[in-house]
Amino acid sequence: MRILRILNTLSLALLCVPGVVAAQDLAIRNATLITIANGDVQAGTIVVRGGKITAVGANVTIPAGMRVIDGTGKFVMPGIIDAHSHAALEGGINEGAESVTPEVQVQLKNDDPVVYRALAGGVTAALLLHGSANTIGGQSRVIKMRWGQPVDSMYFKGAFRIVKFALGENVTRASSTAPADERRFPMSRMGVEFTVNYWFQKAKEYDQEWKDYREAVKKAPTTMMPRRDLRLEALTDILHGDLKVHSHSYRADEILMLIRVADENGFKVHTFQHVLEGYKVADEMAKHGAMASTFADSWAYKAEAWDAIPYNMALMSERGVVVSVNSDSDERIRRLYQEAGVGVRYGKMSVNEALKMVTLNPAKQLGIDKMVGTLETGKDGDIAVFSAHPFAPDAMVEYTIIDGKVLFDRSLANTLRKTVTTQNPGGTH
Amino acid sequence: MARRFLLAIAAVPAAFSTALAQTADPGRAAASPRVDYALTNVRIVTAPGKVIERGTVVTRDGRIVAVGANVAIPAGVVRLDLAGHTVFPGLIDAATSIGLPSPTRALPAAADAAGAPGRGGAGGGGGAPQGGRGAPLGRPSSPQPPVVLPELDADAEAADMFAPTDDELKAFRAGGVTAVGLVFQGGLFPGRVGAALTGMRDGSRLSLRTGVGQDVAFGTKRGGYPGTGIGSVAFIRQAFLDAQYEARADKAFKAGIPGARPSNDPFQRSLMSAATNGIASWFVASTEREITRVAEISTELALKNPVVVGSQEGWRAIGALKRSGATALVSLRWPSPDSTTGRAFLAVGSGLSGVAPTSTTADTNEVRANASVLVKAGIPVALASYGGESGTTFRDRIRLTIAAGMSPDDALRATTITPATLLGINAAVGTIEIGKLANFVIVSGNDLFAAGVPIKHVFVDGRLY
Repeated sequence: MRILRILNTLSLALLCVPGVVAAQDLAIRNATLITIANGDVQAGTIVVRGGKITAVGANVTIPAGMRVIDGTGKFVMPGIIDAHSHAALEGGINEGAESVTPEVQVQLKNDDPVVYRALAGGVTAALLLHGSANTIGGQSRVIKMRWGQPVDSMYFKGAFRIVKFALGENVTRASSTAPADERRFPMSRMGVEFTVNYWFQKAKEYDQEWKDYREAVKKAPTTMMPRRDLRLEALTDILHGDLKVHSHSYRADEILMLIRVADENGFKVHTFQHVLEGYKVADEMAKHGAMASTFADSWAYKAEAWDAIPYNMALMSERGVVVSVNSDSDERIRRLYQEAGVGVRYGKMSVNEALKMVTLNPAKQLGIDKMVGTLETGKDGDIAVFSAHPFAPDAMVEYTIIDGKVLFDRSLANTLRKTVTTQNPGGTH
Repeated sequence: MARRFLLAIAAVPAAFSTALAQTADPGRAAASPRVDYALTNVRIVTAPGKVIERGTVVTRDGRIVAVGANVAIPAGVVRLDLAGHTVFPGLIDAATSIGLPSPTRALPAAADAAGAPGRGGAGGGGGAPQGGRGAPLGRPSSPQPPVVLPELDADAEAADMFAPTDDELKAFRAGGVTAVGLVFQGGLFPGRVGAALTGMRDGSRLSLRTGVGQDVAFGTKRGGYPGTGIGSVAFIRQAFLDAQYEARADKAFKAGIPGARPSNDPFQRSLMSAATNGIASWFVASTEREITRVAEISTELALKNPVVVGSQEGWRAIGALKRSGATALVSLRWPSPDSTTGRAFLAVGSGLSGVAPTSTTADTNEVRANASVLVKAGIPVALASYGGESGTTFRDRIRLTIAAGMSPDDALRATTITPATLLGINAAVGTIEIGKLANFVIVSGNDLFAAGVPIKHVFVDGRLY
């Protein structure tokens, strides 16, 4: 027993010594590395040790003994990040009984198969948002797609705390099917604006109450502590910048409204979600410091999406807005790299700028850009390996790697292609 | 009824020896009158691991007055020669909601029509213009009589509301269950946990103890906030915070601190004891994620030693149970192995549709071994039928729990001493000791949980069934 313990200590010590290879260390050699940060590297090598990228480049020596993936003909890019998903949640997405619920937090369902399907599309991190029924909805979760792990192992440590706001139709019609006397305020865009103003006024009063208390208690230690109100506490966190606002929005007028209300109340809209008319007000968004997470193309699927155009991403980027393209869908989450390619076709974005929309830019929006989003030494070993350039029509993800662990390997997965080939070996398809 | 009962009493002494010779029916409806007994020549398991190979137990007025190998049998008692039998402490089903009203029951029509928001003000500041349903912005609200919603009736005492049918009581006893923990099913704060006996209601009171713990469940409130599982977590946190604040305000008010004044809100006051660890909080939580959530809430709100009612996936959340110092009240209403958390992890790579492989005997055993794994991990465990049938089904499942790895002594502990302590009734039940209630289960042979061995007799509160 004691010997075992000594052996354990030894092996732990060995893991910490540089130069000794650990089980999950790996390298990919002779691949095209799309670093996002420093251009593409032809015939390059990337090394991941202890979950972090330790080398990226053309002339990299692979330490002996680690798993090496032959990257010949393959393209390696940072793991894809989805800035808007409602996958892998349980207990409801909308706490819609009231219109202001920032004290609520979404609950992760770690064994939702969508997590695995997202891995199959090269996605390594995502923002799981509260729904859009409420003016001020619940708090969201940033996760890594660590499939097979307990709930708390999937939280992305160090990411922003993010709360969902929503504007327009979804909020005002949330209770429209209820009997007239049970409908929920607000039921108009005017009401939405009033609701935000009203609650931040309350939050400022609450904040002041606590400030007064902290002063008073210095002089009179028996001073009664104020009541903690989780709702108002979350709103003061927004005022202090500790809780970032991601706001569901479509139309230019509502985007301008929220920017104005935020400026007046002293908080920032960190990112506008959907933001289909963002191209009309990109300068105002850039001035406020707001980022944008949008769809590649979702024209006119409802009234307030009438003016959506596929040039939105490129136009907002040109005006200095940090833009990501998101899925908001358990299906699109598997092919976000194709969604990003739309920016090249519509608006002539450079390939690298377009790929940023599913890597570095969403990382900025989620507060994880110091850890992921590019292939750089010191960042997390979150990587997607493609069979071809991700914008090529037949590109497929072959490996998805998180913290240096291969969590998706197409050669081991039971894919449609394999099944069809097995069941119909001579068939044409 | 009373008359029939009197007749029964008169008839018993004469018929007694014959009755015993006949096929035992411990669940039979007619309660014997309370007479004093001497159980002789019987193997006595006074507590798990403590055995008197051949001895006598004497009861008087429903209590145990003597236990031992050499006990003088007083005159006037009914002697039961139980050679070849073993007497065990009566079993305790640590949690059931059989006999309790549902916290999601319909309101009386008048109260419903009033549309009153009811009690339970957790959530943001009052008077908000977001108009919770029934209070639209700008509409003056006329005074309405307060309606206590069952899902938020935190003062309700399960032991007071326990109204099982005679058949339900009979079913408990048929499995050797002599006492039960009473936990509501559903709601948010549906009331307080209690304990009761499973004897007949005629002439004896079933309620043993009220106010054992505060029942907490991740349910919703009808027609308002919280309307979802995610909302319920925030609501529960706010409710405990408010009750803690109320307790502080109360104390400060009594101490004459300037400005301190309790709200005297009935809902907040009803949770004060649980929020300040006067009584334990009993969270209904089955899955790995729910149990983890209980640990998070208890840690955040400094709720000591929560009781996790259900704990069906406890083996997947041992860390959370330990961190929070929880007692696992393990329901033997096992989930289907196919529906347990993490099953989907097995599905990928094995099929296109995301369907996990058909569960095997090993998977079934994993689910059934839950209680045993938790005991081995050092977590206090009590067994319960919560959410399912009690009685013989419960006893059968205890046997299967033993087959899945739990020692018979641990199983007996988890159905006697541990639940008795948890329910605060260990001075009265849980072991065969002088002074405790005469609650016994008697089987032929040595093994209480053996397959195919019917229960010979059950005593509850000194009465023979």
